[in-house]
Amino acid sequence: MMAPRKRSLVQEGVLGILLIATLAIAAWLDGPDGAFISPATQLELSTHIFDLAILALPMTLIIITGGIDLSVGSTMALSAVTLGMLYEAGTPIWIAGFVAIIVGTLAGAINGIFVARVGVHPLIVTLASMALYRGLAEGISLARPISGFPDGLQRLGGGTFAGVPISGMIFAAAAIGCMLLTARTVAGRWIYGIGDNERAASYAGIPIARTKLWLYSLSGTAAGVAALIAVGRRNTAKADIGSGIELEVITAVVLGGTSIFGGRGGILGTILGVALIHEVREFVSWHWQDDKLILIVIGVILIGSVLLNNLASRSRV
Amino acid sequence: MTRFARTFAAVLGIGTLLVAGASMGGLAAAPDQPKKTTICLLPKKKGLPYFTTCAKGAQEAAKELGVELIYDGPTDGSPEKAASMVDRWALQKVDVIAVSPNDPQVLGTAMKKARDKGIKVITWDADAAADSRLFLVNQATAKDIGYALIDAMAKDIGGGGGEEPAGEVAIITATLTAANQNEWIKHMKERLEKYPKLKLVATKPSNEDQRLAFQVAQDLMKAHPDLKGIFGISSVAFPGAAEAVKQAGKTGKVLVTGLATPNDMKAYVHEGTVKSVVLWNTVDLGYLTVRAAHALANGTLKAGDTTLEAGRLGTKKIEGDQILLGQVLVFTKDNIDQFDF
Repeated sequence: MMAPRKRSLVQEGVLGILLIATLAIAAWLDGPDGAFISPATQLELSTHIFDLAILALPMTLIIITGGIDLSVGSTMALSAVTLGMLYEAGTPIWIAGFVAIIVGTLAGAINGIFVARVGVHPLIVTLASMALYRGLAEGISLARPISGFPDGLQRLGGGTFAGVPISGMIFAAAAIGCMLLTARTVAGRWIYGIGDNERAASYAGIPIARTKLWLYSLSGTAAGVAALIAVGRRNTAKADIGSGIELEVITAVVLGGTSIFGGRGGILGTILGVALIHEVREFVSWHWQDDKLILIVIGVILIGSVLLNNLASRSRV
Repeated sequence: MTRFARTFAAVLGIGTLLVAGASMGGLAAAPDQPKKTTICLLPKKKGLPYFTTCAKGAQEAAKELGVELIYDGPTDGSPEKAASMVDRWALQKVDVIAVSPNDPQVLGTAMKKARDKGIKVITWDADAAADSRLFLVNQATAKDIGYALIDAMAKDIGGGGGEEPAGEVAIITATLTAANQNEWIKHMKERLEKYPKLKLVATKPSNEDQRLAFQVAQDLMKAHPDLKGIFGISSVAFPGAAEAVKQAGKTGKVLVTGLATPNDMKAYVHEGTVKSVVLWNTVDLGYLTVRAAHALANGTLKAGDTTLEAGRLGTKKIEGDQILLGQVLVFTKDNIDQFDF
C-alpha cells in the first residue's frame, strides 16, 4: 500500500504559487489603498466560501477511495428545508439545527448503504439521490422560502468571533480533523488503500464497506453543517440552496490534485484548490464585474493543473 | 527532461496568468479613478434579452450623466451569486446599488447589509422587503400588468367581436416564489371575474428556463385538451410556451400571450401563434433606474418626494416609495415592427 506521506507535493506547490501569483496581481491592481487585498475585505469575502470548503473535505476522502458524491448540494437543500420548517414550527433553533445535521447524515448514510452494501456505482447512486433529495426538499417546503432566523444562526453564516468568521473556524477544525485522519490513523491508510487497489485492500482485510459507509455519512454530515452556514448567511432557507455546488466542490478537489481515479490526493491540496478558486472568483468579480470571465479563468486553471498533474505523475512511474 | 517539462509548464502557467493580469490592468484601473459616481445595476440573470435591453437604456443614461455604470449579474440566475455581488459592491463602497432581486429574501439580506455600510440601495424591475431598499423603480403597477394580460387574452380568444370569450386558460410563471409574478397573478385572478367563461385551470413554474417552459406548455396541452390560452408571464416562459404551441401544430387553436421583449416574439406574432405581447419599454426602465440612482447619489431625490426629473422621459411620478415608469404597452401584428428591443 502506498503511504500517503511519500507523495511528492508538486500539485500543492504549483497551487501555492498560483495562489500567491493571484494575490500579487490583486495587490498590484489594488493601488495604494489596498481594498481587495486588505484583511478586512478578505475576511468578509471569505464567508462566501466556507460552506463549499466544508463539503470539499469529505468529498476529497470519498474521491480518494475512487468514489464520488454528487448529492451534496441536494442534501444541503434537504437539511436547510428541515431546519427552516422546524424553526418555523416553533422548535428552538439549536434543536432544529441539530436535527438538520442528523437528516444530512442519514441522507449520506443512505448513499453509503447503496454504495458499500448493495454495491451500486457511487456515480449512479448519488446521481439518483441528487435528484431525489432535491425533489424531497422542494416537495416538503413547496419551494417556499423561509426567513427570519435568529441572530445566532445568522452569525454562524456571516458573523465573526474575535475578528475571525465563525464558519471559518468550523472549517479549520474540520480540516485539521481530516488531515489527522488521513496522515496519522489506520483508517486514513484504509482510505488510500481502497482507492489504490480495492481488490488488494480486500485481501489485506481492510473493512471496505464499513469505511465507505462512514465516509458517505460524513459527507452528509458536512452537507448538514454547510446548510446551516448557507442558511445563516442569507437568512433564508429554500429548496434551491446549494444547487450546482457539487460540481464546484469536485472542481476544487480535482484542482487540489486528488485523482478522480482514486488512491492519490490529500486534504492540503483541496484546501489550496478551494482557496485558489475562491480568490480567483472574488478577484475577477472585484475588478472586472463579469460573471462569465470567472468561469473562463477557472476552466483554464483547471485544465492547466490537470496537464501539470499528468506530467508530474508520468515522471514518477 | 520531465523535471524540465514540469518546471517549464509551471513557468508557462504563471507567466500566462501574469500577462493576462497585466493586460487587463488597464481595464481595472477604471474604478480607481478620482471620485466619479458609481452605480451598480444587477439584473436577475445576465444575458437574457430582456435585461440586455434594460442595460442599453441604463448605459444611455450613464453616458448623459457622466457616471460610472457597472452592469453585472449571475449568468445562471443564482440568487446566492447575485448576493455575493452585492456584498462585493458594498465593500467597494460604490454610491448606489440597484437590484432586480431574483429571490427577494436572499438578496434582501445582502441589501440590508449593504445599507448598514452606508450604501444607497434601490430595487428595479422586481422588489424586495421595503426595509432593504429606499425606492423601487417600478415598470408598471402589478394591477396594470395583471389586468392588461387578462384583457389581451380575452380580446384574442373572443376574436375582437361582441362574443364573450370562453374556454380554459393556464399560466406559466417564473418560479413559484417570484414576487413580481405572484403579484401579477393575484391581479390576473381579480380581473378574470370580469370574464366568467374564462377558466384558469393551472399555474405552473418554469424556473426561468425556456426549455422547461416548453415542456410545461406541452404537458398542459396534454392534460387539458380543451385549453384555449396560455399565459407566459416571464420573458423566458412566453417564447417557450409559444414554441411548444407552434410545434404541436396548434397555432390559432391555443393562443399564447404574456410578457417578453417584442424582438423575441415578432416571428410568433406574424405567424399567428401569438396575437398580443404585453410589456413596458425595457430600455426606458433601465434609463429611469440610472436616472433615479444618480438623483439619489447627489441628493436631489429623497424619501417623500413625489416627482423625479428623468431626462428624456420628462417628469415621473413617485407613489410612496415607488418610482413609476407607468404605461403598459401591448404589441400586436400592427405595431410590433415599430419597436426594436
